[in-house]
Amino acid sequence: MLTDQMKAKHPRIFRSRARTRLLPYLFMGPAMLYIAIFVMIPLGRGIQLSFTDTKLINPQGGDPIGVQNYAELLTSERFWNSFVVTVSYSAAIVIFSLVLGTLSAVLINRSFRGRALTRAVLTLPYATPNVAVALIFLWMYNQSSGIFNESLSVLGIGEVGWLGDPDYGLFSVIVATLWKVTPFVMLVVVAALQSVPEELYEASRVDGADVLSTFRAIVLPHLMPTIRVVALLMTIWSIRRFEIIYLLTGGGPVETTNVLVINIYQQAFQSQKLGMAAAIGVLGLLLSLAVTAVFFVLDRRASLAESQ
Amino acid sequence: MPHISFQEVTKNFGKSTVIHGFSAEIDDGEFLVLLGPSGCGKSTMLRVIAGLADMSSGAIEFDGKIINGLEPKERKIAFVFQSYALYPHMSVYDNIAFPLIMDRFKPWYHVPIINSIARRILRNTAEVKSKVEEVAHMLELEPMLTRRPRTLSGGQRQRVAVARALVRDPDLYLLDEPLSNLDAKLRTQMRSEITDLYKKVKKSFIYVTHDQVEAMTMATKMIVMNDGEIRQIGSPEEVYHSPADTFVAKFIGSPPMNIVAVTASGTAAELPNGEKISLGSEAPKTGAVLMGVRPEHVRVVAAKKGVSAVVESVENLGAESILALKFVSQNGDSEEVGSKILAKVGGSSVVRAGDTVGVEFEPSAFRWFDVDSQLAVD
Amino acid sequence: MKNIRKFAAIFTSRLVLIGFVLVAAFPIYWMFNTSLALDSELFGTGQEFLPHLERVGEVPQKLEDVGIFGLLANSAFIATGVTVLSFILAVMAAYGLSRFKFHGKGIFGFVLFSTQMMPEALLVVPLFALFATFGLLNSLTGLVLANTAFSMPVAVFIIKTAIDKIPYEIEESARVDGCSPAGQLGMIVVPLVLPSLAAAAVINFFDGWNEFLFANTFIRQQELWPASVGLAQFMGQYSTPLSTVMAAALLFTLPAIVFFLLVQRQIVSGLTAGAVKG
Repeated sequence: MLTDQMKAKHPRIFRSRARTRLLPYLFMGPAMLYIAIFVMIPLGRGIQLSFTDTKLINPQGGDPIGVQNYAELLTSERFWNSFVVTVSYSAAIVIFSLVLGTLSAVLINRSFRGRALTRAVLTLPYATPNVAVALIFLWMYNQSSGIFNESLSVLGIGEVGWLGDPDYGLFSVIVATLWKVTPFVMLVVVAALQSVPEELYEASRVDGADVLSTFRAIVLPHLMPTIRVVALLMTIWSIRRFEIIYLLTGGGPVETTNVLVINIYQQAFQSQKLGMAAAIGVLGLLLSLAVTAVFFVLDRRASLAESQ
Repeated sequence: MPHISFQEVTKNFGKSTVIHGFSAEIDDGEFLVLLGPSGCGKSTMLRVIAGLADMSSGAIEFDGKIINGLEPKERKIAFVFQSYALYPHMSVYDNIAFPLIMDRFKPWYHVPIINSIARRILRNTAEVKSKVEEVAHMLELEPMLTRRPRTLSGGQRQRVAVARALVRDPDLYLLDEPLSNLDAKLRTQMRSEITDLYKKVKKSFIYVTHDQVEAMTMATKMIVMNDGEIRQIGSPEEVYHSPADTFVAKFIGSPPMNIVAVTASGTAAELPNGEKISLGSEAPKTGAVLMGVRPEHVRVVAAKKGVSAVVESVENLGAESILALKFVSQNGDSEEVGSKILAKVGGSSVVRAGDTVGVEFEPSAFRWFDVDSQLAVD
Repeated sequence: MKNIRKFAAIFTSRLVLIGFVLVAAFPIYWMFNTSLALDSELFGTGQEFLPHLERVGEVPQKLEDVGIFGLLANSAFIATGVTVLSFILAVMAAYGLSRFKFHGKGIFGFVLFSTQMMPEALLVVPLFALFATFGLLNSLTGLVLANTAFSMPVAVFIIKTAIDKIPYEIEESARVDGCSPAGQLGMIVVPLVLPSLAAAAVINFFDGWNEFLFANTFIRQQELWPASVGLAQFMGQYSTPLSTVMAAALLFTLPAIVFFLLVQRQIVSGLTAGAVKG
């Protein structure tokens, strides 16, 4: 207990006590302040906007209209289409990137000549900037002259409207995204694989397990925590992903690739309805939060089961 | 079973040779210990025997049949790893049952859903259950069957590893320094448990260790290795009393055998400090030769009665004491000559550090080694 | 028999791996190939599979003509700015999160993480308004500020997990020697986590280099476009030959690839340090 007498006698200690308590805030402060200014305040403003009918012409003005935007959205076919497209897109990305990424990680895990080079090449797509990815795929998907259709013609199958045909739009966009993001999964899984002790592989060999059994019984359980985290990251990043879809299809054809973020962009800058755009944004954020919450619940439960 | 024949087994890792021409014949039912310092190639050798590593040249036969190309599970072996290598995400029961399930696994069980069902059914079959429980009972693991390895102590984990080996009823047990991760007391206890197990199953055991006490107490036959080569093959008694070279002589025994450079002629030998002692019998050669004598055969007597030496240190172990001695030169300047020799005396020593004493050697306790080759000479 | 199976297994796995490599490399190769083709070939006679290497000499001039170098300089400015600013903020925040227990620690952590969930599109408009008020519209600095907000938390996470691994005793001994907390951070901790700092720097640089949405919305002047926006604009215009666009795209891609290859190992270990449980 610090009495006033003690404080008076040892002013320097008391001062440093207070300083120690302030210290963490000094370290965290700048970053927090920064986020507060550039994320939290705009977020607040965005949420506020969602309850108004603000238009692009007059960004500062606009009257509050309560939950009208939300009501409109939740009954709008267009919005729900966006929602479904977003969920499908994210789900496809997560599932395929995990499967392909883990597969390539396992394949690259054994050492062989040229392994470093192979790994380097396999990670190139992740290093390619989003805009460049969009551009090259835009060209490859080109209906008349792109390499994909050229090859199909040679094979006698005929053209496909990769970006123009509503049946193919989402597929094409997913493929382009997968090309870019799968290497990330591969890198993370490779690192996780390396933490499996060699003796565990030897033990399963002695026990007569073949490669697949070993993978299932030993490697996969070991990887689960990592896979879960990667799945979460992939999901929330997919919900945000903008450039690739925007530059490839702009949300079409016929809104088959109109994910939430594109929808927001359109509402804000084409339809000029800032309030509505903000409302969609808030709903998108809620989606991300929900996904994260589900993840934490599942992860907590799985971790408990594992440690028992 | 099995009778094991090692024929010039060699193992290279890239440019370096880790095992040189390993040849030996081991009878069925032996408890063979591969003993040697770290890095001598013994663990590698064990993995070659197991089929976890391939040999670069040579052959190994089990009961006359060459096993070079066989997979571990085809060799009917079990392996206990130094770090136990228990499957962390399976319960103790599942760990022990795993080899049994793998035995009964058919290729088409790999299909995803069928896989989970098949494994669950297999794990609960009466046959698997009874075997697992039998082995668990033998090793006192029954209360832990549902727990995960993470929650067990080192000794318990080790027993699970042994149980997993046992349940396969192999012809050959391979153990890779299984006790080195345990504390001293547990180690002594587990040592006798392993020996009991050996006597019970009556199968061949190959045990790798760097601890010569473990080797001496457990082995029926020992192979002492260094730098990838066999230095000696023999029973513990043979290795102890008739070491094949100075390496074995110094590696076995605690404290190790004293090696003294002497000049021998007939039944006498001149020690480094100039004093002469008489040997119980003829020395094997005349001239410079290495004389080996175990500390328990070195006697400490009154200063004038034996070779002059100064006591450097005394380690009192209760039942016995170890004295480090250094010969005193006869040139009159009382200089200490040569390296230390150790003497083991019973009880607490009356002698103190700094005392001058006399040293006597028990007759016919000498072992002789060639100065150049370091090999034993008769 | 066993050997045939083993061989087949290795063979198929190699085959699959080759397939992956081809898929990974092809688009980039195609970018290169297209950059050396004439529009007449591309849209008329058909793009050839092998690149016309003889035309490589013409490329620099074409790039000059579209002013790609200026645009790349803008991208570099943004990327560097984001890296530097993130570094300063993130190192301190990471240290704070790693070493101290304090009220609101969980909240701070969550706030940082939540930035990863924000759709930038939601924040574009409010930020637009904010920047307009402070005259940060139409400026590269504004872009740096906007991007750092989203990029810095990733850096915090990477650096924090690295700091977690450093035993606190090293700092305690520095304290006994009279070192202040700031000194502990600067002189003891930072040198020890350099690899993760490098990884974080690369991620920040990437984010800045990749930046598109905010630039597209906030920048009015062509000269201030980062290469990402420039490239997107080129694609829409018919006046720019496709080969030039591709060449520009390739030039835009190369620095990113080089950086990434240099530090990929650290990035992964930094990212996974917390996630990998073993």
